[in-house]
Amino acid sequence: MPAKVVVRDLSKRYGLVEAARGVSFDVEDGEIFGLLGPNGAGKTTTVECLLGLRQPDEGAISICGIDARREPREVKQHIGAALQTTALQDKITPREALGLFASFYRVSLPPDTLLHRFALSEKADAPFDTLSGGQRQRLALALAFINDPELVFLDEPTTGLDAQSRRELHAEIRRMKEDGHTVLLTTHHLEEAEQLCDRIAIIAEGRIIETGAPRDLIARSTRLQTVHLTTSARLDETVMDGLPDVSDLSQENMTLRFRTPAASRTIADLMQRLLAQGVEITELHVQKASLEDVYLERIATEGARDPHATSTGVSRQP
Amino acid sequence: MNALLSQLQINLRLYFRNTMALVYGYLFPAIFLLAFWVLYRYERVPLVRHMGELLTIAVLGGACFGLPTTMVSERERGVWRRYRLTPVPTLTLVGSTLLARYVILITAGLLQVGLAMSIGMPLPHHPLQLFIVFSCVAFAFMGLGLVIATLADNVPAVQALGQCIFLPMLIIGGVAVQLSSLPDWALHLSAFFPGRYAVGALQAAVTGGGLHEAAFDVIALLAIGTAGSIAGAGMFRWDAQQRFRSNPRKGWLAVALAAWILTGAAAEGLGRVALPAPPSTVANPVNAQAPANPPPAAPAAVSAPPAQPNAVPPVVSGPDSATAPASGTAARGSGERRAAESPVGRGGPAAPGAPTAGVSPPNAVGSRSSAEGPTPKPPATPASSPEQLATPAAWQAVTLANIEADLTFTRLPSDSGVVTPVAAMTQDPDPDVLDDLETIRTSLPEWGPAKVTDPLQRVRNLLLVAAVPDVFQMPIEPFVPWVVFAEIQRTVPKDDLMKILYWIALHPADGSNAAVEDLPALGIVRGRVDIEEARNRAAVYAVKLLGQLTGKRPAR
Repeated sequence: MPAKVVVRDLSKRYGLVEAARGVSFDVEDGEIFGLLGPNGAGKTTTVECLLGLRQPDEGAISICGIDARREPREVKQHIGAALQTTALQDKITPREALGLFASFYRVSLPPDTLLHRFALSEKADAPFDTLSGGQRQRLALALAFINDPELVFLDEPTTGLDAQSRRELHAEIRRMKEDGHTVLLTTHHLEEAEQLCDRIAIIAEGRIIETGAPRDLIARSTRLQTVHLTTSARLDETVMDGLPDVSDLSQENMTLRFRTPAASRTIADLMQRLLAQGVEITELHVQKASLEDVYLERIATEGARDPHATSTGVSRQP
Repeated sequence: MNALLSQLQINLRLYFRNTMALVYGYLFPAIFLLAFWVLYRYERVPLVRHMGELLTIAVLGGACFGLPTTMVSERERGVWRRYRLTPVPTLTLVGSTLLARYVILITAGLLQVGLAMSIGMPLPHHPLQLFIVFSCVAFAFMGLGLVIATLADNVPAVQALGQCIFLPMLIIGGVAVQLSSLPDWALHLSAFFPGRYAVGALQAAVTGGGLHEAAFDVIALLAIGTAGSIAGAGMFRWDAQQRFRSNPRKGWLAVALAAWILTGAAAEGLGRVALPAPPSTVANPVNAQAPANPPPAAPAAVSAPPAQPNAVPPVVSGPDSATAPASGTAARGSGERRAAESPVGRGGPAAPGAPTAGVSPPNAVGSRSSAEGPTPKPPATPASSPEQLATPAAWQAVTLANIEADLTFTRLPSDSGVVTPVAAMTQDPDPDVLDDLETIRTSLPEWGPAKVTDPLQRVRNLLLVAAVPDVFQMPIEPFVPWVVFAEIQRTVPKDDLMKILYWIALHPADGSNAAVEDLPALGIVRGRVDIEEARNRAAVYAVKLLGQLTGKRPAR
């Protein structure tokens, strides 16, 4: 299947600021693709160019096989979008909003179907200004699906939602993939990207600096695994002597912490020494490198190249 | 088309769910209408001469405030940005918004006309043309509203910009202040405001000659509306983050401004800025110098059977038949036509407490009533009946008993009011008007119409000298009556004068009004005068002077 989104050498300048500098990436059919990047990295500009909200200075954009720069309105027939915050008129109801938006497309789903799917049936006739944040976001998703789109853009969809609403939204996004939709997701939440995305692209300073599946990116990371070991008695510090590839060794009370590129072999050697000393292990925890580690590592590397980069813009989910 | 209709339907639904929008769109114009009704309560036919102003105000509020406020508010919230993610064309979205506003304006206009008709205004002369003209006015002001929506970055800016356009248009644009009251410089300035053309065209459809008379006004409105729409489309912004200052297409604003300037320039070039010179306003021209007092039995008005008490002289019946200052628009409308078709004697019953002179008319002045007007109704509270006292056949036959029976002096328009004002003896004229008054005082004895041999026509002519400045609300209006009263008393014996004043009060439409054409000789130079309005005010002044002569109404 051809890629749903093909972006090549996309550039956009605002005065002296180059917001996007030769951005290129593909989004394959049926995948959830995450676009990660700190504030000001060019993520929003890139997405806005894809959505037709901004006109790029240079580059090519193909969406669903259509040249998005030449036929932006045709592209919009095939895509849906839920922005970070969806604003509608205060007194419009979800049923009216869906009916209105349905009239904008050649093909549309019945509003009642979407109201049911996005758990809005009970609020179908309630004014928009009486909906909760989660209900508004579900309405935004329902509006994005009104034309049964091939490709869905989700821009920071969980921002401002509580844990329950976020969990429901994650389930909905997974369902989109199961139903065969392609999803392009922008998010600040690395765990969200790690959990949901088949592939991600990290964008910084207007450039794509890394692309791939989260596990591949983690595997490529040079970061070491961290081992936390808690024992029944305080260990003699010499117990670690001679163990290969151990670094950043530290001990606090009865917990030993160190980094190693070969956790299994190091732990096996350590176990033998502890057995010999008669020390019981009460807790053992091995922490692999996370997407956050990869992200921070790559952003830091990019920042070292570019003195203007000062913030990672990353956030942990509460 | 489906998107357009859906968007139109939603826009209307949302509008009618918004209480504040309803207040601004419907209640405020209705309050203006009531205010005008109260302000011009002495007018013979309520509000008919002010519908141009009232409808213009309704459109101005809805199109220059309501429309941009809605658009900018939705843009600020991100609604338009969300719309932009859909394939629906800009033209459809903006078009449906304008169409919804047009529907709102039409309903507001219908409400205005309906309310006015419910309190006595007759059906406009050209209903279909009124609809067409109203649509042109709505188009012009919606174009302006679109420009405001693209200029303003936020809702407070809409309010500020709207006021900057609204207030000048009201005050010096001919919308709320009559053009005849404006100084020359403001008259020229008003030609550059669409409000003047809106009022003119609407009024022409209500009381004037319709589209034919208002062709220039309509063309001006269409030009201004088209330019505003083009400029608004050129500068259109989807996103609140796009500020006007950084909008690369702000040059389109020049198109809207150019239309205003070119329209004003065209009005100047075509000589349409100054109010038209008095035309032959005389329905039945008679040389002012000639005896104009017809034989008692000659005019139909006088020969009408006394048993027709419903035809009330406008000056002395209820508020429907009282007089009021002419608006600028009315002044430039077809006064002749209004005079011929105005519903003299059509008035309904006097409202309780209405400031009438309480006259029981002995004969009909309403023989010229238009067939299209409502059926004349009897006066509210006749002071006496024709059976009780013989009706004089000519002014010479009037007796004091007639005066006491047919006239009361306690419910006349106030001397300090808007209609037929008379300055207090202790009131000094402003220095600005002293010269004008002096001109009148010194010229009056030699003024041709003041020297006609027929004393009845002479008094009529002199009373018009006071009445016309009153119609035009000229600054000298409260002081002229003293000069006129003095001249009348100087040239007509008191006994005759009392009879003549009584006769004029009850027969305001009789005699010649050709003297109006000679008013420039007294320095009273204004536009086209509504002659019937002037006659009615002359009749009120007649009653006021009669009140002084009989001691029934002491001078202030």
